[in-house]
Amino acid sequence: MTRLILSTSNIMTGGPSIIRKPGADRSNLELTNSLRSNFLAAQQDYSPAGGSKANSPTNYDEEESVSRPSPSVWTTRENSNFYIPTIDWSLSGLSEEPSQYDITVKLFYLPGVDVADRAQHTKDAIALVLKELRVPSIDLLIVSFPGMSFEGDCEWDADKKNASQGDDKQEIKSWSIVEDLYDQGLVKKLGLAEFGSEKLSRFLDKVRIPPKVDQVNIKDCCNVPPPLLQLAKRQQIELLVHNDCTNILPSGTLRELLGQGVRGAGVLSESKRGIDGMKGELTPEWVVKYTAVVRDRGVIENKGYFAVADLKE
Amino acid sequence: MGLLALGTPLDWPDAKHNANHVREWGVKQLLSVWNRAKGKERDALLWGDEIEYLVVNFKEQEPNVTLSLRQADILTALAQDDKLCHDGGCVPELQDVGGSLPIFHPEFGRFMLEATPGQPWGIGFKDLLDVEKDMKLRRRIAKEHMNPEEYPITLTTYPRLGSPGIFTSPYYPPSGEKLRSQFVPDEIANPHIRFPTLAANIRSRRGRKVQVNVPVYRDTNTSWPWKDPTVNYDLTKWPEDADVRNGAAPDNFIHMDAMAFGMGSCCLQITFQAKSIAEGRRMYDQLSPLGPILLALTAATPIYKGFLADTDVRWNQISAAVDDRTPEELGEEPLRNNRWRIPKSRYAANSTYISNDPRLRKEYMDPDLIVDADVKQQLMDGGMDSLLATHFAHLFIRDPIVIFAEDLKELDLSKSDHFENLQSTNWQHIRFKPPPTGSDIGWRVEFRPMEIQITDFENAAFSVFIVLITRAILSFDLNFYIPVTKTDENMETAHRRDAVLNDKFYFRKNPFPTRAPRPYSANGRSTPTGTSTPSVLSRPPTPTGPVEDEYALMGIDEIMNGSKDGSNNEFPGLIPIVESYLDSMNVDVETRCELTAYLNLIRKRSDGTLWTAARWIRSYVRGHEEYKHDSVVSEKINHDLIGAVIDMEGKGEWNIRDAGKLLGKGFSPCKEGIMALARPPIVDQTSSGP
Repeated sequence: MTRLILSTSNIMTGGPSIIRKPGADRSNLELTNSLRSNFLAAQQDYSPAGGSKANSPTNYDEEESVSRPSPSVWTTRENSNFYIPTIDWSLSGLSEEPSQYDITVKLFYLPGVDVADRAQHTKDAIALVLKELRVPSIDLLIVSFPGMSFEGDCEWDADKKNASQGDDKQEIKSWSIVEDLYDQGLVKKLGLAEFGSEKLSRFLDKVRIPPKVDQVNIKDCCNVPPPLLQLAKRQQIELLVHNDCTNILPSGTLRELLGQGVRGAGVLSESKRGIDGMKGELTPEWVVKYTAVVRDRGVIENKGYFAVADLKE
Repeated sequence: MGLLALGTPLDWPDAKHNANHVREWGVKQLLSVWNRAKGKERDALLWGDEIEYLVVNFKEQEPNVTLSLRQADILTALAQDDKLCHDGGCVPELQDVGGSLPIFHPEFGRFMLEATPGQPWGIGFKDLLDVEKDMKLRRRIAKEHMNPEEYPITLTTYPRLGSPGIFTSPYYPPSGEKLRSQFVPDEIANPHIRFPTLAANIRSRRGRKVQVNVPVYRDTNTSWPWKDPTVNYDLTKWPEDADVRNGAAPDNFIHMDAMAFGMGSCCLQITFQAKSIAEGRRMYDQLSPLGPILLALTAATPIYKGFLADTDVRWNQISAAVDDRTPEELGEEPLRNNRWRIPKSRYAANSTYISNDPRLRKEYMDPDLIVDADVKQQLMDGGMDSLLATHFAHLFIRDPIVIFAEDLKELDLSKSDHFENLQSTNWQHIRFKPPPTGSDIGWRVEFRPMEIQITDFENAAFSVFIVLITRAILSFDLNFYIPVTKTDENMETAHRRDAVLNDKFYFRKNPFPTRAPRPYSANGRSTPTGTSTPSVLSRPPTPTGPVEDEYALMGIDEIMNGSKDGSNNEFPGLIPIVESYLDSMNVDVETRCELTAYLNLIRKRSDGTLWTAARWIRSYVRGHEEYKHDSVVSEKINHDLIGAVIDMEGKGEWNIRDAGKLLGKGFSPCKEGIMALARPPIVDQTSSGP
């Protein structure tokens, strides 16, 4: 079993991949575009100077039209961890001391993953972010459970539909994982994503440490369903806006990102003759997004993603 | 403040003899500030807006509207309001420190008021929500301290300023000693000695009256060639009365002849505190190319002196109204007594870039920049770097206009009055402001090109937009550099009628930073030598190509909303950039809702769905029953226009012609939505509003 650790590095200075197209609704384009451009950047940076076709390995796949350096040049394998691309931890950290920042982390539990693994996944995700930003703790952790949405023609509708989505029992159970992080002081504030009024009130009845934030994606943010607005006000939960999709990294998307296609990274083989390529069943497990904002200046200094997938070779 | 300090002002020839004295001391004070504050770091983002009002006398039933000259009385009333002062809001000297109620200030025009928030805003998103409320509060407080028929309105200019007849209360005849204007009386200016001296010394230095000429709008019944019918060619009271006989009033232009026609304009200005001098210098540079774009977008000035103009904005009129250049400096006569020919008025677009940003290419600089070489040398000898020294040495090519005899006795390095004398009379579209002495305030940048908007909703929208774009510039490390002379051209373009719809502006095609290779990686170790074969894996282009390839002509819609399919450019658009910034921040639904309303207003102004104030006013006049399509804005039309403007912020815009085209259908629909939702559930869900 191999754990693929995909990373974007800091996407704030990554150019157009982070800019929303006008009218674009929720999407995972920011994640996929910035992963892709970080792969490409790493391939360029870690190739021998003046890297050109002559230095690249020849690839025999017929569909292949792009030459790229061998994955071993720009990725790193450490035991069962496979970093795509290589992370140079000496470059991590923020420019000022941690107290100057508001650090928000959003953890996406992905569908089809054993919920029993969530404790480990959560621990891993937070550890990676703390290491990347070199901070002792984060200010807000938002968890996103699979199968949730806030969709419908009208927001009342969306709120009702939301009531029967997800899996209350598992969500409540998983919450104790982040409550532990809170107890340890690693996280100062907890939050949820896409909880409508009914789900949220059921949730509040069952958990020890209530969320302080509920992040919702509403087409027109002026039309918050009144029951949710009232509940949030009563419970002093901040309703924040977001633009992410819940299933942020479907396995097909991941396969394309890593595959041999023109827009792929060339890590994953799709034919038997792939060189340096890996084969096997690929399961995206979780994605974490982190944002470090200089508190009193409103400047986003660092934002990025880690995505982890399990590869059964 | 220096503004209100009293003293003995020097008349022009005397002031001129002391100009070098002031400049020398100004340089010393600047160096003192610079040495003290150059290491200032980690200042928070604080920012403030300034709203300027005209005060009009308006009665529904009386056809004649006038400007109220009661500025001093109104300010006194504000100052004397005990309760208000107790809460912290009134004129500055009586104000408790730390008050949060608005502060009112005098302005050049005696019919003007300026109001600022009682405390600077931060970047907390809740603060952004308070901006519009505070603007409304300011308007309300101002109104409460006026006579019942007086109203503070936010038009850039008073449409019939300088028209024949009575346009002030009380009435004064024109042609006073200070302004020598044949259209406006000296009493139009704030009577504080600083202001008449400023106007008189500009006129004296220049050697004639200022000439503010605006092309007239040629309507179907406008006689052509058009001669300004209000110009009197026969006056002989002052030597300057000969100006119009010597060609000061060309055909087809509305002719104006006094500082009041420019400095009597209202603007919307935003000042930011930067984290450090480096960040301030960066903001100064990056905001500069945005200036003309925001000028065109906020266009609100289609009428002068009772005539429709063929331009939409105030900028060039202010520029001309304070243009103190002599015929030699203007290039009309050979240089004998003056040191340089100077291409621009002291009120003009920026001529410098000042950031240490490696992306600042020398090709962007103005090749013909005039600097005072001695001043530059003194600044560099004092330790200032060449780039910044050049900037200030450029500002110091001007003479100080108002000098108080008392200030020349002793140099006080704990003050910056001499420096500020020059700095504050260099009215450029972006101003770089060193920290004031005796306070903890940091390096600041002022964004000055925007025109005031009729409603506080619009003023808040543009203020907040500018704040957000600065945050996006810093967060995404954006690069808007174009040659600074292109910004001059853009400022001219912004004047054209409906420039927002029809004209194109030079703008940088790719605002994103070039990615730096990872240090310690194969390609990050050293700069590659020799040529590498271009391939998909080559490094991103380093900024060494022709500068001309970096920018293109784009319309406001493309710059604000992004390139459409089929455009040659792939510009992402300033509004999508701001939205992407917001997407990465924790913003609550209510705030996002309000911000969306603001961004929608600007988006729709940019794509033409909504009108600029200039277009709305022009259309209002042209659609008025009394308008004869001869470019004349009569007293009756003016009356109704002012009434509509008052109603827009007062009774509401419902009955005003085309108000929807100015403000959009759901004029701040969100707040109503949110408020409705915040109330207990409505009984009848199906009831529909008007």
